Amino acid sequence: MKLNNKILLSNTILTLVVFLFTSVGIYYLVNKTVYDELDNHLLQHKIDIISQVGQDASSLEQIIELGRLGSYEWIEIVEYDGSVAPHENRFATIDTLRNPEKEVESKSYRQLTTTVTVNDRYYTLRIYEEVASWADISTTILISVLAGLLIWILLLYVFNQFVLDRILTPFYHTVDTLENISDPSDFDESLPGTSTYEVNVLNRALNSMMQHIRSSFEDQKHFIQNVSHELLTPLSIIRQKAENILSEAESLDKETIESVSDIQHTAVRLSRLSDALLLISRVENKQYSLDQHIAVNEVVEEVTGELRDFIEMKEIAIEKKFACHIEVHGNGELIHAAVYNIIQNAIKFSPGGSTITLATCCEDENPRFSVRDQGPGIPPEFINSVFDRFKKIGNPPDRKDAGSPGLGLSIVQSICHLHNFDCRAENRPGKGAEVSILF
Amino acid sequence: MWLSCTPGSPGRAVGVTITNTGLYMRALIVEDEPLLIEDLEQCLLEEHFYVDTAESLQEANDLVAGEPYDLVLLDLGLPDGNGLELLKSVNKYYRETAVIIITARGETEDKVKGLELGSDDYLSKPFPIAELRARIHAVLRRKFKISDNHISGGPLEVNLDHMEVQVNDQPLDVTETEYKMLRYLILNKNKTITRISLAEHIWGNRIDDRFSLDFISSHMKNIRKKLSEAGAHNIIETIYGVGYKLTAYEAE
Repeated sequence: MKLNNKILLSNTILTLVVFLFTSVGIYYLVNKTVYDELDNHLLQHKIDIISQVGQDASSLEQIIELGRLGSYEWIEIVEYDGSVAPHENRFATIDTLRNPEKEVESKSYRQLTTTVTVNDRYYTLRIYEEVASWADISTTILISVLAGLLIWILLLYVFNQFVLDRILTPFYHTVDTLENISDPSDFDESLPGTSTYEVNVLNRALNSMMQHIRSSFEDQKHFIQNVSHELLTPLSIIRQKAENILSEAESLDKETIESVSDIQHTAVRLSRLSDALLLISRVENKQYSLDQHIAVNEVVEEVTGELRDFIEMKEIAIEKKFACHIEVHGNGELIHAAVYNIIQNAIKFSPGGSTITLATCCEDENPRFSVRDQGPGIPPEFINSVFDRFKKIGNPPDRKDAGSPGLGLSIVQSICHLHNFDCRAENRPGKGAEVSILF
Repeated sequence: MWLSCTPGSPGRAVGVTITNTGLYMRALIVEDEPLLIEDLEQCLLEEHFYVDTAESLQEANDLVAGEPYDLVLLDLGLPDGNGLELLKSVNKYYRETAVIIITARGETEDKVKGLELGSDDYLSKPFPIAELRARIHAVLRRKFKISDNHISGGPLEVNLDHMEVQVNDQPLDVTETEYKMLRYLILNKNKTITRISLAEHIWGNRIDDRFSLDFISSHMKNIRKKLSEAGAHNIIETIYGVGYKLTAYEAE
């Protein structure tokens, strides 16, 4: 969730809580004031009646008569019926129909039940007053307060959308810049200073951090270049000296030839190994641009062409099941290397005369290129580590010497990681293995 | 035949072609590793070049300024700078000079940059001398527009530009791989060629060597069979445990 939306949300929740409490509180307060006022009023009536009948006891009949006629308030005086204790004032709110014949809806009335004494005789006095007119006032107050609060919420929203957005712009600029960096060398301009203290601190910290990352990235790149130079030049010398000796093979005895051949083979193997490791480290340091448009099917055709000699020699049949064309963005050289390694691997492990199936498939979410062979398959103990560096999967059948370190598939894996592809190796039911790249 | 290297007859058949300097061809080796210079120099001397060597960019610049070379073998990673700088100036003043880049930095961007700046070929270390010899041949032939594109060894004659092989003037039917092997052997005739360098020449250095050496043997078996059917017996000798040698002494 975006920061300003979060602020907006928390503000809204706070306002709603305030809104709720305020409305309940106001409702309670206004009601209490209204009823207090009504009760005062009723008591005043009682005092009026008592002083009236105190001056002139005979006016009681008249009061009973006239008291019934009031419209918003009226009075009932009956013989003492014991509903309240003498001299007690009891207040109550009742909903009733005053004239059941005329009225349909019951209305709310405040009722004071008390006693009066006239000529030493007790009467029960009931004074009624309609609440409705007062309740209208409290509703009006409540509505106006709530309307004020609603306007406040709207103002907050507008504030968030415009003012907060504006305040947070430098922060979002920083976030966007970071989001768009895929490679330290992309970060060529530093983040600008702003008037907000925190964003300034953040940008400064990021700038110096990116500077560090960039320079260590450059260092690493140089290091890799230097290492390859420093390693391969001596290897080159070893190899050439060995070949010089071998070119005069006639004058050498068998043992010397064997030893020098071993030196030569080892030098070659070592240089292949360092080539492979350098390739992997270059890939892992993202030193390749990934902006080429590549038709995977064509790459596969190219690779099978390059490996044709081996395919023919082993009398392997290549079966192509290209269900669709796969086109991806990436580095052509690397994708070629990945496909080459997978197919070479399949040829290596295929028995002579078997079939290798190359297939593309676009039915699932990701297009998929897969190579199936009819070889011995991947031993179960290696199935999870075929892509790991230096894990050997046994040796091809009929080979005495140890296979070269299994870097082929780790190259595939690092290339796939760089491109955000997925690579998988699994045994097929029955016979053989299947290695696939999911683009 | 100016480039063929026959230990039995040093110095012959050189300078027949028109070169910058007349009779002999001049080569410059720019490489900072003395031990490697030795081998490169040896090879070029066998190919009848006058050879100068430079171990730094500065030295090389001085030499290039004073002398037009026919061939420059250029290492990119020099102690005092990038060899591409030298390539720029060589290409500016002597367009005739053939330049082969030799480097340990097998990066494609370097390769592309080198070729864009006008180098004629590119070799990644480590490489067998035989490969260098074949490349020098190809580059010089292209550069100096040599029209005679046949090279012969005994009864065998190989067209360097097209897939054509003749034995005793009769065409021999060969596959592409067999042609490449024969061409490589004849360009390095009378030299022992190791099986690894042969495999690398044909399939590049990405192929697994253990995997490819057997294939070399079986291809060689086919070639031998075809050659002896055509009447060229035993011109390719197997050096046990090492590789092969195409022996061909020129009829004087």
